[in-house]
Amino acid sequence: MKPLLKLLSVIALMAGLSGWSAPAHAAKIRVVTTLTDMADFTREIGGNLVEVHSLATGVEDTHGVPMKPSFVPIMNRADLLLSEGFEMEHAFLPALLEASKNPRIQRDRSGYVDCSQGIVPLDVPKTTERYAGDVHPYGNPHYMLDPVLAKTAIENIYKALVAFAPQYQAEFTRNRDAYLAKLNDKIAEWEKEAKPLKGVKFIAYHEEWNYFAARFGMNFFGTVELRPGIDPTPRHIEELIAGMKAGQVSIVVREPQFPEKVPSRIAEQTGATMITLPIMPGGVPQTETYIKMMDYIVHTMVTTVKARK
Amino acid sequence: MRAMYIALLIFIEIGLSLSARAQESVSDQDQMKKQQQAIDEQQKMINELKTEVDQLVEAQKKVLPSEFNPSIGFVGETIFSYRSRGSSETGSDRPGGYDIFVRSMELNIAGSVDPFAKGYAVINATADTATGESSLEVEEGAIQTTSLPWNLEVKAGRFFGEFGRLGYIHDHELPFVNRPLVLDQYIGGESRTDGVQVNWLVPAEQYISLTLGVGDQFGGDNPPNYVGDFRNGTELNYWGRLSTYFDVTPDISFEPGISGLWNPSTVAQWDPAVQDLPTVADDTYTERERRLVGADMVLSWKPLRNNQFQTLTWGTEVLYSDNRYDVTDPSGNPLPSRWVGSYGLYSYLTYKWHRQWSNGVLYEWLEDIVNKEAKTSAYSAYITWALSHWNQLRLQYTYTDPNAASGLRPDSAVYMQWAWIIGSHAHGWQQR
Repeated sequence: MKPLLKLLSVIALMAGLSGWSAPAHAAKIRVVTTLTDMADFTREIGGNLVEVHSLATGVEDTHGVPMKPSFVPIMNRADLLLSEGFEMEHAFLPALLEASKNPRIQRDRSGYVDCSQGIVPLDVPKTTERYAGDVHPYGNPHYMLDPVLAKTAIENIYKALVAFAPQYQAEFTRNRDAYLAKLNDKIAEWEKEAKPLKGVKFIAYHEEWNYFAARFGMNFFGTVELRPGIDPTPRHIEELIAGMKAGQVSIVVREPQFPEKVPSRIAEQTGATMITLPIMPGGVPQTETYIKMMDYIVHTMVTTVKARK
Repeated sequence: MRAMYIALLIFIEIGLSLSARAQESVSDQDQMKKQQQAIDEQQKMINELKTEVDQLVEAQKKVLPSEFNPSIGFVGETIFSYRSRGSSETGSDRPGGYDIFVRSMELNIAGSVDPFAKGYAVINATADTATGESSLEVEEGAIQTTSLPWNLEVKAGRFFGEFGRLGYIHDHELPFVNRPLVLDQYIGGESRTDGVQVNWLVPAEQYISLTLGVGDQFGGDNPPNYVGDFRNGTELNYWGRLSTYFDVTPDISFEPGISGLWNPSTVAQWDPAVQDLPTVADDTYTERERRLVGADMVLSWKPLRNNQFQTLTWGTEVLYSDNRYDVTDPSGNPLPSRWVGSYGLYSYLTYKWHRQWSNGVLYEWLEDIVNKEAKTSAYSAYITWALSHWNQLRLQYTYTDPNAASGLRPDSAVYMQWAWIIGSHAHGWQQR
């Protein structure tokens, strides 16, 4: 019994030295986001009133952010947890939420914010049977690559911050309006710059670009993956190459979390150009914010199309 | 005449004007007709949409019998193997030579109990080693709180107690085919218990997790304490685990832990009518007190950019068993009781170089829990092909080398494991 009491005393002392973290309404609102795009929006809206931590750094596969125990104390102290929605984070968030032991941020509690509220998803699957791969039952979750839809997420984040800290509504509103004004200007700029992209066909490793393609008039031809989450078979690669040649598909998008070898081979055999594009801020250098990321994506796509012409 | 011309001109002008107005009137009427047609068409579309929406809303109102079903999944696992020696020489509970063993047929069920707890069950059907017939067994069935204050979580029922690193992992989720020898012998397979366990996340910036539990039986292969007439507190198992975690770099992590288990009195567990009691030099050993401590660690390299395609994991666990036994000679005469302290360990290294492919090596060593002079080493190499997250094949070669004191013979074995999952499959915290 004595050794156990000693052990518990040491742990209690450590806890005291580390500081038992007061949960809510401390100096800043503690916000944890699963991905970096929501972290960027939260910093823009919250300004100095928020302390934001993103579980992803930007380079990870959005479906495969590692479940690090170091995330647990951060989530344990969080006031708000922001998720992308449409079960994007099903591979890591549920277990982390359970381990966090923070009742405020559990699903269906006020601290759990689904940023996809109000967005009508593309690609809602007709079946969730596994022969279709690792499908998202509520639709394609990669809507953040459409900057117009991203504004809905921004509004959801704004509403969550206001609901949590209504005394700061004026400042949140000011910040949100300023950022939306900047984003709207950029959207107009991207839509103008992206005119050469209309009708251009491309493939990507994973089904991440459907919303982007719809927004900018591109044609998302297919994926390197056989099915979502299932690596390509040799037959699938052959069929894809044949289809790309027949369809005159000119661009292969490789996301940085996927290996380069197969997309590079496909590009070489079809005469397409392979480009590496991030899917969240921080995915490649010089894309630390959402606007910088979209700048990079649009500019790289347009430059590639123009170079091919 | 002039007046007539003027009157005629006026008349013509009026006539032209009236004609123009008449034409305008006709043109306005046409336009209005067209507009009305367009309005009618739009109204028709709106009515059709409204009907479709009403149908959808009605469809959503249907009551489905399955509406309150929990998440359900099923795991199947088959082991095809060849061992160069028979079970009498290896001590295995499976035959030597060619064997096909359906080790896991697991039904997993999980769901919310209410806003305060969730529940889950694992029902497994494994073939009996003697008869080959399968019987259903509730391997786990527990309730777990979800909203306690002070970073607490309580689990109660039948579950795998948190001891060590791989003790509470199901067979099909192990990084290799078979549970390490030291866990089989010192814990008794999986750390199954009927009990209650409390976990505390220490409220610190550093991740520190403390678990304490008490239960009847600890180890799936161990018998439960005999029910008897009256059980006092010394006849239960008490265990605990303390673990922490370090991000050495963003890509490299280190997770150590220590565990302890104590059953002050196991006297009621061992019934020679039911179990074969171990013997050493023809003396019979009956366990009376059980003590087990362990230290474990996992060192991982998982590059953030590429963690689905490339990782390197080194896991090691060292256990020390220190049990007290009543000893009787071959004639049944009691001898002085003995404490037997035995060490055992396993260490594995797994390298994943592709989303589908990984390979690794495993080293095992242990002293027999009753006879520490009997020592066994085992060396394994394995390669895993995960066609998808739910369909996995693994090929493993194992060379087991017991010493002469163990009374067993060295042998080689080849295993092919095929594990698959259908239905709901949650990524649990223990599988990180």
